[in-house]
Amino acid sequence: MAVDPKVSVEGVGKSYETADGAVEALRDVSFDVASGEFVCVVGPSGSGKTTLFRLIGGLESPTTGSVRLDGDPVTAPSTDVGIVFQEYHLFPWRTVSGNVRFGLEQQDIDSEARERRTQELIDLVGLDGFEDAYPSRISGGMKQRVGIARALAVDPDLLLMDEPFGAVDARTRDMLHEEVLDIWRETGKTVLFVTHDVEEAVKLADRVVVLGTEPGTVREIVDVDLPRPRSVTDESFVAHKEEVRALIGD
Amino acid sequence: MSEATDESAFGEGSGAADVLRGERNLRRYAYGVAGIVGFLAVWWAVAGTQPPYILPGPASVAETFVAELRSGAMVEALSQSVRHWAPGTVAGTVLGVALGLLMGWSPLADDAFTPVVRVLRPVPPIALIGFAIAWFGINHAGAAFIVAAGGFWINFYATYGGVENVSEELVEVARSLDVRSGPGLVRKVVLPAALPEILTGVRTGIGRCWMLVVAAELFGVPGIGQTIVRASNNLAVDVVIAYILVLSLMFLLVDSAFRSFQRRVLAWQ
Repeated sequence: MAVDPKVSVEGVGKSYETADGAVEALRDVSFDVASGEFVCVVGPSGSGKTTLFRLIGGLESPTTGSVRLDGDPVTAPSTDVGIVFQEYHLFPWRTVSGNVRFGLEQQDIDSEARERRTQELIDLVGLDGFEDAYPSRISGGMKQRVGIARALAVDPDLLLMDEPFGAVDARTRDMLHEEVLDIWRETGKTVLFVTHDVEEAVKLADRVVVLGTEPGTVREIVDVDLPRPRSVTDESFVAHKEEVRALIGD
Repeated sequence: MSEATDESAFGEGSGAADVLRGERNLRRYAYGVAGIVGFLAVWWAVAGTQPPYILPGPASVAETFVAELRSGAMVEALSQSVRHWAPGTVAGTVLGVALGLLMGWSPLADDAFTPVVRVLRPVPPIALIGFAIAWFGINHAGAAFIVAAGGFWINFYATYGGVENVSEELVEVARSLDVRSGPGLVRKVVLPAALPEILTGVRTGIGRCWMLVVAAELFGVPGIGQTIVRASNNLAVDVVIAYILVLSLMFLLVDSAFRSFQRRVLAWQ
C-alpha cells in the first residue's frame, strides 16, 4: 500500500501471568488496515482475537510490538477508536438517547448541536421512536444499534467491534450486517470487526485476517474481492468461505 | 431521572392480568386484616389475665395513645427525636456512601483504610456514648452522632459492594468516550451503576438509624426513646406501647416514602 495505513499492528505479542505461569495469547501479529477499509479478524476461540481487540482499543498494552493509529502508538482508550462490545455494555440507567449522547457530553459543543447530533445518530441506526426507552426494555438487536450509535457519536477514525452480533438471532444478524455496511459506506469509517464466524467475515470484509490458535498468530490475510451485496450461496462466496475455513483448520 | 418511558409502546400489562393481580391483592389485604384482628384478639385475651403493669389491653393502649396525642406530648417527643434522627441519618449516609465510593474505587484508599475499618467496624454505636457526651455534649448533636455511627457502616458496605460490582467494561466504554478523570468516571459511571445497591443501603440505614434513636436518648436527650425509658421505670406499660407504636408508624411512613422514591429513581431497571 502506497498510502500510510490507518491502523498498523506491528509484531504484537501478548502474554498473561497466571498462577500456572505465563500464557501466551498472541505472538508476532502484524497487519495493516487502510483508511476506509473494512477488515474482519476471524479465528476460533483460543486465537486471542478478543485480546487483539483490547490491544487495538487501547484497553490493554501489548507485551511486545506496537499498535499504531495514524502512526501514533495506541496506549489508552480514546475517542479516535469507537468500541462496540458483544454484550453491548450500554449504560442501563440511561435511555437510548442518553446512551448515544454520552460521548457528546464530554465535547465542547452547545446543547442544541448535541441534541441534533444525537437524533441524527438515532435515525442512522433506525431507532427513531425509541429515544426514551431504557436498554432493559429493548431487544438485543436494538441494543447493539444503540452501541454502534454511541460509539459513532464522538466521530472516531476507527470503529472497532468485538463479535458485535454474536448474541442476536440469525435474522436480526442478517439485517444488522446490511445496516453496518450501510453505515460504513455512509460515514466512510475504517472498520475492524472481530468474529469467530467465517461466513460473517467473508460477507462483510474487504480483507479477512485469519488467526491461528495457541498462541494467536496470523495464518493468512485473505482478500475478498467480491461485489456487495454478497450472496452466501454464490459460488465464489462459498469458495472464499472454504478457503478461510481451511486456513483455520476446522 | 426526568425521562419517562412510554409504557404503552411496549404493551405493558393486559386486562386479564390486571384482574388477576387485583384479586390477588384483595386476598392479600383480607389475610392481612385477619392477621391483625387475630393478633389483637390474642393480646386482648392474654391482657385480661394480667395486671396492667405487666400487659395492658389494646383498648387502654389506644386510650393512652389518643390522650398523649391530644396533650401534644407525643408530637413534642416525636419532633425532639426527629431533631437528632434526621441530621444523624443524613450525616451517616453521606459519609458512609462517600467512604464506600472512595475505597471501592481507589485500590490505594482500599489498602490504606481497610485495617482501620476492620478495627472500627465491630464497635456498637452504644459504646460511643462516652464520645458523644465528651465531643458534643448531652444534646441533639450528641444523639445525632450515635445515630450517624449506626447508619454509617450499613451505607459504607452497601456502597463498597455496589462499586465493586460495577462492570469494568462500562468504565472502559466511558474512557473510550473521553471520560478520563477519576472523579468524572465516579460521577458518570460508578455512582449511577452502583445506585441500586447504594439506595438499598440507604433504606436499610434509615430504618437502623430510627431504631438507634431509643439507644441514643439513653443518656438524657429528650425524645421518644427517653419517654419510653421513663415510662418503663414508672411501670406505665400502656405509655411504653403507645410510643413503640409511634416508632413503628413513623418508620412505616418514612420507609414507604423512601421506597416509592427509590422505585422512581430506579425506573430504568
